[in-house]
Amino acid sequence: MTLLHLALKDISRNAFRSWAIFLCALLVAGLALATLLITRGAQDSLELAVDRLGADIIVVPQGSETTVESALLMGTPTQVWMPEERIGDVRNVDGVSQASSQLYLTSLKNAACCSVENMFMVAYDPETDFTIQPWLEKNLGGGLSLGEVVGGTFVFVPEGEQNIKLYNYLLTLKANLEPTGSNLDQSMFLTLETARDMSRMSRERAEEPLVIPEGKISAILVKVADGADPDAVAVQILKDVPGVTPVVSPKMFGTFRDQMSAALSSMVLVLSLTLGLSLVFIALVFSMATHERRREIGVLRALGASRAAVVRSLLVQAVILTCAGAVIGAVLAAIGIYLFRDYIVTRVGFPFLFPSLSGLFSFLMVGLAIALCGVLLAVVAPAVRVSRQDPAHAMRE
Amino acid sequence: MKSEAMTEEAASSARQGAPEIADAGQPSAEHVISVADVTKRYGSKKEVQVTAVDTVSLAVSRGEFVVITGRSGSGKTTLLNLISGLTTPTAGHVVLDGVELWSLSDRQRSRLRNEHIGFVFQFPSLVPSLNVLENVMLPRAFGGNHVGDDVESRARMLLSTVGLEEKAAAHPRQLSAGQQQRVVLARSLVNRPTIILADEPSSNLDETTEQEIMELFERVHETTGVTILMVTHTSQLISWGTRSVRMAAGRIIGDEPVAQARSTQD
Repeated sequence: MTLLHLALKDISRNAFRSWAIFLCALLVAGLALATLLITRGAQDSLELAVDRLGADIIVVPQGSETTVESALLMGTPTQVWMPEERIGDVRNVDGVSQASSQLYLTSLKNAACCSVENMFMVAYDPETDFTIQPWLEKNLGGGLSLGEVVGGTFVFVPEGEQNIKLYNYLLTLKANLEPTGSNLDQSMFLTLETARDMSRMSRERAEEPLVIPEGKISAILVKVADGADPDAVAVQILKDVPGVTPVVSPKMFGTFRDQMSAALSSMVLVLSLTLGLSLVFIALVFSMATHERRREIGVLRALGASRAAVVRSLLVQAVILTCAGAVIGAVLAAIGIYLFRDYIVTRVGFPFLFPSLSGLFSFLMVGLAIALCGVLLAVVAPAVRVSRQDPAHAMRE
Repeated sequence: MKSEAMTEEAASSARQGAPEIADAGQPSAEHVISVADVTKRYGSKKEVQVTAVDTVSLAVSRGEFVVITGRSGSGKTTLLNLISGLTTPTAGHVVLDGVELWSLSDRQRSRLRNEHIGFVFQFPSLVPSLNVLENVMLPRAFGGNHVGDDVESRARMLLSTVGLEEKAAAHPRQLSAGQQQRVVLARSLVNRPTIILADEPSSNLDETTEQEIMELFERVHETTGVTILMVTHTSQLISWGTRSVRMAAGRIIGDEPVAQARSTQD
């Protein structure tokens, strides 16, 4: 016979109180974990997208910042254009070390000539590129040849085929990139040469041609010189280069950050409210339950339970119920978010990267700790109060 | 559950206070309970204060079976609670087995209660979520490891002593009031206490069951030599004890060996 045994027996006896604590812990831990996972997953995805971009500044046609950000972060197909000469203008700005142009293209929708529809494609210039090319050289030992592409994690060759067919142009998938938790995982990277070849061939082979306006580019990636301030360089680009908007890397995806921040603030508010209400509810239920057991606790005191032992016994019950509820709540939240991660990206429009197992475990522990601290906070006062009652007085009631 | 035994130092320092109290309550080495000038008042304001026990002194020798009688409100249950350390005295001293009860911390006092005192209450005091066997073993959850034997075997043996071995797996709600009190008596013995404090143990029982319970008390007293303090409002139960103490208005108004008490009543 131990206090733990006594606590377990009491848990099974007092069903209402036990279920109340269990469900509150489940709710709090589940919500806490969901908030943590989504917040952290979105943040990780954003940081990865910025990292992958690998540029200090991205220069886009004026007014198209949000469209391009949406394309780069969420892989939303887009086509924006600016004169090719702008790259020369940008290179002439003080503090610019490297500048490389990119084309943003899209595959056709509902067309037999495209095996993947509405796919966002980034065409880069291997001669000047400093973002994709280094990765290719590091991982593939060289750049992409004509007709070769690199895909996001979820880009694959259709079953039974050797190549990806876009505009009836056959592309060889050389490698897949690490997941980003955004629709970029379904995007493709190719050289300008391949893009132009595909555009040329599409006029004869595809249902609709891939149009790349002559002398146009979609964006310019800029690397600033060592010691140069990206913000100052961006201001200079804005002044010197007409018809473009420079976006500094840390400020990239500002619209998304604002949207996410608002949504995540709402989640934190819901979590705080749930936590607060749960704690009040648990404190009330626990107070009622201990009040009903006054005489029994008086008897336990008479049998030799110290005040500390009474408090421990009650806290052990709360801890057992909280741990059980919190673990189940956190696991359910983790499974739910894992299952709906694509929905979060595609429907909710949040970039989201599911954490690694060790990361997930840390979050589970945080969720458990929040629920545990909360419940202990709620039950400690009633437990101490009942332990301090006069046992003889309690037994007379 | 880790339980901290009362330290020798604390017990020794508590014992140092005993001789002074011994003079007041006339206890000696064989006195297992010494109560000296104990008063208990309830209520915070002077005008509404109620004195439940008024400067009571009592010394009980090892092995005595003391029956405390008195009308309702005479202070007998309060005295029992003061002796067990469940109620804090307003004034006076309580010494158990040579240890001044109120010089101890709550943990030490609880430990002392656990190891030295067995309780039998007037009301149903079994824990409803535990079965009979677990209820008997319950005091061990708060210490009692000094006994050093297999608690389950001892609990079964005690259940056998009170004639309820076959009810070990039953829950309190499945037992009659008399059976519950027998289980409580078994529970009170599990830690081999030196004192049993019984507060109206048979008041809720019919005459036959009361007789059975009292026979059990007598058997326990005879076989173990445990000191018993029983509170009752029924003077018929005095004959079961070896000493009768009568209380009225919070004071002891009579203290006699049982034979003398009987003759007084006669």
